Amino acid sequence: MTLTNLPPGLILILGAFAVPLLPGKIKNIVAMALPAIAFWHISRLSQEAALSWQLADFNLEILRVDKWSKAFGYIFTLSAFAAFLYGYYEDKATEFFSALIYIGSSLMVVFAGDIITLYVFWEVMAISSVYLVLARGTKKSFDAAVRYLLVHIFGGLVLLAGIIITIHRTGTIAFNTFNPDLADAGTWLILVGFLVNAAAMPFSSWLPDAYPESTVMGGVILSAYTSKTAVYTLVRGFAGWDILVIVGCAMSIYGIIYALLENDMRRILAYSIINQVGFMVCAVGIGTPLALNGAVAHAFCHIIYKALLWMSAGAVLYRTGKSKCTELGGLYNTMPWTLIFGCVGALAISAVPLTSGYTSKTIIIAEAAGNHMFWAWLVLEIASAGVFLHAGIKFPYFVFFAKDKGLRPPEAPKTMLAAMAFLSFFCIYLGMFPERLYNILPNTDLVKEAMPYTFHDIYIEHFGHVVTQTQLLAFSGLVFFLFLPLLKRTNTIALDFDWFYRKGGKAAYLLLDKGLNGLNAVVNKTVAEKGMAKLAGFFAEGPARFCLACLKPVWELSGVQAVMPEEMDKRFIKKFVLANFSIGSTAIFAVIFLLAFILKIS
Amino acid sequence: MPDKDFKLGYFDQPKTKKMLWGALWGVCVVSVVLQLFTHTESHFEQVDFFGFNALLGFTACSVCILVAKGLGLFLKKSEDYYDDAD
Repeated sequence: MTLTNLPPGLILILGAFAVPLLPGKIKNIVAMALPAIAFWHISRLSQEAALSWQLADFNLEILRVDKWSKAFGYIFTLSAFAAFLYGYYEDKATEFFSALIYIGSSLMVVFAGDIITLYVFWEVMAISSVYLVLARGTKKSFDAAVRYLLVHIFGGLVLLAGIIITIHRTGTIAFNTFNPDLADAGTWLILVGFLVNAAAMPFSSWLPDAYPESTVMGGVILSAYTSKTAVYTLVRGFAGWDILVIVGCAMSIYGIIYALLENDMRRILAYSIINQVGFMVCAVGIGTPLALNGAVAHAFCHIIYKALLWMSAGAVLYRTGKSKCTELGGLYNTMPWTLIFGCVGALAISAVPLTSGYTSKTIIIAEAAGNHMFWAWLVLEIASAGVFLHAGIKFPYFVFFAKDKGLRPPEAPKTMLAAMAFLSFFCIYLGMFPERLYNILPNTDLVKEAMPYTFHDIYIEHFGHVVTQTQLLAFSGLVFFLFLPLLKRTNTIALDFDWFYRKGGKAAYLLLDKGLNGLNAVVNKTVAEKGMAKLAGFFAEGPARFCLACLKPVWELSGVQAVMPEEMDKRFIKKFVLANFSIGSTAIFAVIFLLAFILKIS
Repeated sequence: MPDKDFKLGYFDQPKTKKMLWGALWGVCVVSVVLQLFTHTESHFEQVDFFGFNALLGFTACSVCILVAKGLGLFLKKSEDYYDDAD
């Protein structure tokens, strides 16, 4: 391994061990520098660069460089830099350690060329990210972290089972596109394993359960990696799997409905991650090269504006200690910059013209239409309108406007604002000049041929699309304010799929408690107490009764004893049990056994 | 709660609210009117009519809100709902 084939993830992972040892703010600066170095390293990585390692019979491909992995590498390191700049206030060494391991592992997954390396770092991601939830230090965050870990252990085991079956069947560990026509149980299990991390229904509730309980910086970091690493693996492994169109559409609507029901601002944003990942999963299902490039472009833009939204919400939480819409409102008075940057993120996620969402989401929707998938196209359009409703307006409205609760916190720290400004710049820049983004996509020429990419082309030549998109969003906004009384926030939570394991867990405990313990009691009573006594009696008296049954007819027929009174039976059995026979009886038995023995051997 | 003599913020003043409502309706109207003067294309015949996106935005969001409201009757629980389970 040299600098030319150093996996970018290793820069962060090795750095993670050094950062906690550094004093004071040097720790923060080095944490910021590491992703910046990794970004620079990725930009210089040649497509021929490779790193493999022979492990038993398998040749692990630890570094596979192509435009797919590089595109994700760029955005993962870019957002990591912004997140550490944002987290400049943070001084907990452990949080930096786990965040760097987590981000480094996600880069290792992205650059992995085989499914074993992928799996190993997939699991490291799950374990290291838990700490970003745990570090909040509340009982709620602890419980959520435990559930988060359990779900990911489940997902990881499903993935592992799928990988083992697949390796056994194909004999190869290379990670390439799985052919849906040759899919077996192993391939489906791998798909489920990936979908758990993509937060696809019904494995979705871990995300809105755990992320909102994370620390302020942890939320920003978590919002980017797990689900987008899953999107990357789906793009590489499951392109063109029709079922993903349905899964993606379902996710995009589910995210909206639940975000509308939610009261916690960071939970609203968590549900909108699921909504946005739904667009990407749908694009993977469409599976054409343009759709896949659209998924990558959308993941790129999404990570930026989503991190920006989490930063804005995080700044509010940092300054007020509150995250419920019912407790927030009127913050525009003292946190105007947080509001402005939050609004840039909100407009970008809503795909408002001049923002990045407009140039990335359009690729996916246009490709659904281009492939004549009417229903998928319609659902994605509806979901686009719905995004504006919950993330575009609901989040900023209830947090910064709505009813003034009299909160007058100071503006967010300057480094937080700097990080938000940094990401806001990209949201607007990529909305106006997406060519830079299109240039790093795997099939640049294809995208540039199909989509307008200069400012003039997007906003002047294709002004009709700007008008129709504005129409869609303006009327969505109108509905929000017309229906505002129906959207009044309440101090409630909404039941999600986690109900099955949170309440179900209790039900299972009760079932096991009452069911198995009840069964245990019955068995104890019947078998242990009564049954054993009977069994002992059977072994003690059984031979005696057997002998009696054999001898009685002989005695009766031979006239030795015409009728055996019951009293004699009992006496015989008692004698037999105690082995207290007279010499005559013993002699008779001896003769019988000897005869039987002679007959046997002769 | 805000002090009694607390000055209403800019966005809480009735005058501003009225202006914002006007702006919202204005954007809606302008976006529809502009469609008369621009070329728009649709991939699907069944939705290729004037003002489709306005209709879609309005109905889709209304339905989303009503569905969420309806589901809320079953799904919304008090915040301590899980407290005994965890």
